[in-house]
Amino acid sequence: MAWTKEEEIRLRKVIKDSGVNLLKENLVQGTWGNTAVRLDEDHMLVTPTGLDYVALQPEDMPVVQISDTSVWTDGKKPTSERKIHAAIMAARPEINATIHSHPVWCSVLASARIELPVMSDEMQKLVGGPARVGAYGLPGTKKLKEGTVEAMKGRNACFMANHGVFCAGKDMDEAFEIIRVMEKSCKEYIRQCTLKITGQLEYSDELLFDYFVSKYGR
Amino acid sequence: MIDNRIKQTIADYAAKIVAEGMNGKGDRIAMRTKDGFCVNEANSSLEGLKGDDLVELSLDTQDREYALIARMFQKRPEIHAVLYTHAPFVCAVARAKATIPAVLDDMTQIVGLNCKTCKSATTEDLVNGLKRRNSVLVPDGGALTVGRTMDEAYTCALVLDKASHAYVCGSVIGGNKLINCIEAKLMNIIYQKKYSKVNQENISKREGE
Repeated sequence: MAWTKEEEIRLRKVIKDSGVNLLKENLVQGTWGNTAVRLDEDHMLVTPTGLDYVALQPEDMPVVQISDTSVWTDGKKPTSERKIHAAIMAARPEINATIHSHPVWCSVLASARIELPVMSDEMQKLVGGPARVGAYGLPGTKKLKEGTVEAMKGRNACFMANHGVFCAGKDMDEAFEIIRVMEKSCKEYIRQCTLKITGQLEYSDELLFDYFVSKYGR
Repeated sequence: MIDNRIKQTIADYAAKIVAEGMNGKGDRIAMRTKDGFCVNEANSSLEGLKGDDLVELSLDTQDREYALIARMFQKRPEIHAVLYTHAPFVCAVARAKATIPAVLDDMTQIVGLNCKTCKSATTEDLVNGLKRRNSVLVPDGGALTVGRTMDEAYTCALVLDKASHAYVCGSVIGGNKLINCIEAKLMNIIYQKKYSKVNQENISKREGE
């Protein structure tokens, strides 16, 4: 164990707060989504599977071995997506915090499986380029893990097809900055597409709804 | 007499629905009770709803205003909460009388393989529309969502709202790529039977059921 008890206590609180903050900032619904923080080169703390973020306690977070995610101690049963968090941390030593979540606007591009172009300097700086879409795979599967790892190459965020978004930062604060810029950029991309397709100059949800109903309504 | 925890749960979730902007005219929030169910009064708003603003009815009520909710509790013994909400993107789909296909994993888990807009707003059509699903859309109206707990019904409404964003916006930006039916069914079964079971049991105690 290459970390101190004090550091572990601090990071347990970071993980607990990350779940609550995802809910507060509307970046997740219910118990879906998961986060991780690195303890040392071969260990991380992750959120447990399927439990209410508000009710979770710092001591509920399990310690998972990065090189073999079937090995875990303390806390409750870890998220089934721990393999993705572990794969990113194993491949990239500079990454110490990861977030997988399902925010609304990111989910639109994940569902359409569309790569998000760079929408701002902030996105370029934080994400590192256009955000790719990883291949579709059922939750918890090797296919989903491999698709996400591939799409994350040279990037700090990617979409998971029909699923959500994955973000990685040097710490949890940076990982949150990344997920926020992804959400903001997706929303802007959708607005720009709506204006282009409708030929209007000013966006409103009503403009989008009217176009949708006229084209897809029964 | 309605249990105080149920009153508080309803007031809390009504406030959450309003905070999320999913409220509108004709909203309903209902929970099963020992003797039937309790619900906000017809034509009352969810804004500022308090536990004392609720009415308690038996499941065999003939009152037209509440018969639909009573039928849902009768037909689905496992559900303990029913919501009727009006999130703007959901209402756009209901206005188009469209069906939201399997656009997102979490939608297939909690909402169902798709979410249809019923042909009509009759009790029969709406109850049938909820078969093997936790949500159905009312033509030119909003969404009915149900859950084993109020928290699950509320989460279902949130996820449905997100799926509506994905479907409406996805149609505009180039089309949705759908999850295949077998994978969608598998996720639905795993969620209902395993993933959420312990959590729903814990929440159920907290909500006063």
